[in-house]
Amino acid sequence: MLGVQMVQLENVMKQFDDTYVVDDLNLDIKSGEFLTLLGPSGCGKTTTLRMIAGFEKPTSGKILLNGKQVDELEPYKREVNTVFQSYSLFPHMTVFDNVAFGLKMKKVPKEEIQERVTKALKLVQLEEYGNRKPKQLSGGQQQRIAIARAIVNNPKVLLLDEPLGALDLKLRKQMQLELKHLQQTLNITFIYVTHDQEEALTMSDRIVVMNKGKIEQIGLPYEIYERPQTRFVADFIGQTNILEGTVTAINGEQATMKFADQVVEIPNTTDVTLNEEVYISVRPEKIKLSETPFEGSINLKGTFKEKIYVGSVTKIVVTMANGQDITVNESHDKIDELTNTNDVYVSWSPKNSVVLKK
Amino acid sequence: MRRNFAKAYLLLSPSLFWLTLFLVIPVLFIGVISFTTNGDFGAIIYEFSTEAYTSAFSSLYAKVIWQSIWWAFIATVVCLIIAYPFAYFIAHSGKWKNLLLLLVMVPFWTNLLIRLYAWIILMNNQGVINNVLLDLGFIEEPLALMYSPGGVILGLVYGFLPFMILPIYSSIEQLDKTYLEASEDLGAGPVKTFLNVTLPLTFPGILAGFIITFVPAISVFVVTDLFTGGKLLMVGNVIRDAFLVEMNWQLGAALSLLLMILVLLSLMIFMRFTSRKDRKLLV
Repeated sequence: MLGVQMVQLENVMKQFDDTYVVDDLNLDIKSGEFLTLLGPSGCGKTTTLRMIAGFEKPTSGKILLNGKQVDELEPYKREVNTVFQSYSLFPHMTVFDNVAFGLKMKKVPKEEIQERVTKALKLVQLEEYGNRKPKQLSGGQQQRIAIARAIVNNPKVLLLDEPLGALDLKLRKQMQLELKHLQQTLNITFIYVTHDQEEALTMSDRIVVMNKGKIEQIGLPYEIYERPQTRFVADFIGQTNILEGTVTAINGEQATMKFADQVVEIPNTTDVTLNEEVYISVRPEKIKLSETPFEGSINLKGTFKEKIYVGSVTKIVVTMANGQDITVNESHDKIDELTNTNDVYVSWSPKNSVVLKK
Repeated sequence: MRRNFAKAYLLLSPSLFWLTLFLVIPVLFIGVISFTTNGDFGAIIYEFSTEAYTSAFSSLYAKVIWQSIWWAFIATVVCLIIAYPFAYFIAHSGKWKNLLLLLVMVPFWTNLLIRLYAWIILMNNQGVINNVLLDLGFIEEPLALMYSPGGVILGLVYGFLPFMILPIYSSIEQLDKTYLEASEDLGAGPVKTFLNVTLPLTFPGILAGFIITFVPAISVFVVTDLFTGGKLLMVGNVIRDAFLVEMNWQLGAALSLLLMILVLLSLMIFMRFTSRKDRKLLV
């Protein structure tokens, strides 16, 4: 199944008043894929999802669902279903009737409805709750019912609009894995909207990072995290240190650049050119702290500014000679070993630096 | 537990006080008066008598009471049929919403008497409507727009329409729009969405509108007075006449109590047809 184009967005624009909330979006989503639209609030991710569902009509551009153009089609005629952020379970119906609603609307025979609803409730482990009203369930249970209500219709595409936003951290983590397993079992295309980068990294086959209505980067979770292509992506996904530099030489796959009084060779992943002003991004967990510089590493000298305990690691903010702060994640033991905190080296391997265009 | 009850009553005491003073005590007065004897010139003689009830149950009064309930019911249903689409339209009219609401509220704030007089000018045998129709040749002789049960119902509908529109409007307005999106998402078109989601979820508004229209509509007497010149009677007219014209307080009191019991009964029957949850939403 994987490989068939299930959803295609072609030059999709959406204008509200004078601003384009979605600006010339092009995106192909494959059948059976778990794709996440990730970005800060107001980046256009929810609007994109609502256009696929049919609640919003694109100002211009085309939306294709399974090869058929649907952008003028009403929501109730599209073979997609949505799991809403607020669940939107009908309060006047029992759990069973909520899940059966879509099938009833399609005039599916009664016995088949009974069978499919029971199966869907079983899938979300709530088969005994059919006679309850949504209000009598916990947030996590309501969430599952909302999922059951959508998947019972065997949609071609399931759209999920921050479905785990209202759950507490522990339940959210658990549901992330459950949703991922569910998606693999059912082999339905999932389009998932979230602003939580960790959630996106955990669940997705591919991530689309959006900002101001445009796509910043599309890639595998690994690529998005390790090889961000813009400063926005590097900054938004996880934590990072951004340094400014200049390209002084290019030799094949490598680029030589000068920054903070250092000249180093790092992989040229973003096609920078000679003399270009660039950013260099390096993740806090890739940086080591020591009293002596490391051979073959980039070493910068600085002093401790702040120490923040965050549980699994300690975050150290080190101020460089040029006044810039660099955040380092280090183990508690390692920090205890350091005697002179006014004179330390922050070191990282050149291959852990990511060059970003300005 | 015991202490909690005491606390609850303490907190309730102001409202209990007002309820006792302005509802329970007056009703008790009415109850007592209805069992006294009617003296000359309306004097109340404190001797037990059921005479008032004997006449109240006579076919003449029973017919008036029944007629009042029936007319009020018809008027309430007509109000509902007009008010729901109207309220729906206001709730979806965007920036015109406040202006339209104001147009509903203005007559609501105007005295019913004045508004009914305006209708007389329109509906009179020599009124605007009849004159226009006569001049245009649609009719040969004036229509009896007033002096008929239809006229009374028209007056009731006109008088109580805002009472129906406002609660329905507020329930439609408060309806979470994502329920409608969820319904459409699950394959229900606009009609199915309305019948399966909008209508049941706005039912508390309908229920509230029904009660606050129906209950006062039964006992109103100005409509029959003005539109039929007292030719047709509603129970409100009879009660007023018993107290003020015939000086028979006993009969007026008995009729008032009977009306109260009948209204409560009809509300209970009405509640029967509505699910427990809808009532809970209302309160």
